[in-house]
Amino acid sequence: MNTFQLFNGLTFAALLFVVASGFTLIFGLLRIVNLAHGALYLFGGYIGYTVATRTGSFVLGGIGAMLAIAAIGFVLDQGLLRFVRGNELRQVLLSLGFAFVLNDLALVIWGGDSFTVPIPQVLRGGMRVFGVFYPTYRLFVLVTGIVVFAGLWGLLNHTRLGALIRAGVDDAEMVEASGVNIRRVFLVTFLLGSALAGLGGLMGGAFLSLYPSADAEILVFSLAVVIIGGRGSLVGVGVGSLLVGLLNTLGQVMFPELAYFVIFGPMAVLLAFRPLGLFGKAA
Amino acid sequence: MLEVRDLNSGYGEAHVVRGVSLDVGAGEIVALLGRNGMGKTTFIRSIMGLTPPQINSGSITWRGESLVGLRPHDIAARKIAIVPQGRRLFPSLTVIEHLTMLKSARAKTGWTVDRVFGIFPRLAERRHHRGGQLSGGERGMLAVGRALMIDPQLILMDEPSEGLAPVMVQHLEEIVLGLKREGLSILLVEQNLYSALAVADRVYILETGKVVHQGDAATLSQQTDLLFQRLGVQ
Repeated sequence: MNTFQLFNGLTFAALLFVVASGFTLIFGLLRIVNLAHGALYLFGGYIGYTVATRTGSFVLGGIGAMLAIAAIGFVLDQGLLRFVRGNELRQVLLSLGFAFVLNDLALVIWGGDSFTVPIPQVLRGGMRVFGVFYPTYRLFVLVTGIVVFAGLWGLLNHTRLGALIRAGVDDAEMVEASGVNIRRVFLVTFLLGSALAGLGGLMGGAFLSLYPSADAEILVFSLAVVIIGGRGSLVGVGVGSLLVGLLNTLGQVMFPELAYFVIFGPMAVLLAFRPLGLFGKAA
Repeated sequence: MLEVRDLNSGYGEAHVVRGVSLDVGAGEIVALLGRNGMGKTTFIRSIMGLTPPQINSGSITWRGESLVGLRPHDIAARKIAIVPQGRRLFPSLTVIEHLTMLKSARAKTGWTVDRVFGIFPRLAERRHHRGGQLSGGERGMLAVGRALMIDPQLILMDEPSEGLAPVMVQHLEEIVLGLKREGLSILLVEQNLYSALAVADRVYILETGKVVHQGDAATLSQQTDLLFQRLGVQ
């Protein structure tokens, strides 16, 4: 793998991190495997695309995608998932059904063509880093991934809300018995996780492009990241994203026919020895 | 303050608590004794609004207001705190985070981090250790400290002496009596009879979900045949 491919792996890992960190927050705290997360990513990408093209502002596209997907997450959580709390199978099926609805809705609104979110002028072109000429936008994605990691790290480890979220991952009932309305913490977490999917949609939409079924691809990668990293662990998502991002690039370059196997083979081996993932803890 | 009348609660078909009536007055320490599996923890969970169990019938009244059907955080907001069985600390949180997650570190009223550290200096020394890295005694102290941070008027303590060395049990008894002097009420669930009798004003004995004896602690400690019969101690 040369430097250019290494950067490809790292920038893909950064995108995966943004999407999968939202996924793991929801999975870790609410115990919901939200299979609509990929659909939220894609829908966020479309909305970000529309806002960015209409307003000509990439930043507004990002804000629009995050707000809109948080709002859709609100509907999903309060309108639907609320009624099947504690029943994991129903949550999974419900979120999968929601994903189908959202995807069909996207097909109705945006059609089946592929879109690429327009990149702002300053991020176009490339720059020389470590001896290679590399697209500026993909470096921006890498930086954004790092910024999101730092932001979430600070939120989780240095705020009261973060302490409540971590405590809730450990023992939600005890948080509630200590006088905290855990459902409100759940909701905030769900909205934050959804907004991160929306942000990922915009970011990914500018270099992977948006098309029907892009949601399933990102969902499979996110699942792999979270399973490898361990449920609810931010560091786990970071490490998992790097592994999946780099293995994916390695697989595509060296064994194109086995690209998926290069990710899921090692994952299966890992799970045989660490069923809870690298940083996972028993519930 | 707390009045429980004819409480029946359990898990589905399993009726665990059967018609229990119990009172805890202001500034009173009431001990609920009984062997393993007699429904003590189920009773405590029912008061705190934790589900399961479900409450099938009966009433739980706190300062004139019914607690049945309220969610645990609503009950905690009415100044009832719990020190649960097994402590249930948060392994991901440091000692100080267990306290500050419930109340800002800058709060000045009621119980503060400094006040909790004042009665448990050991916790202050270990403030940056995580829940999972503490000794049994420290875990017990932290569970009590966490309960105090909501400024409770009633603390439900489920076997706080469990797994503690005798010297720690004694320390705990002093803490419990100190809280009583501050005007707190305590409902103490215990298997450790001697620890309970050392601090309690009144005692209830639970057997297969029913109250089989109630009376004041001083009298009970003289009734050795009753203690033997109900609790198997001599």
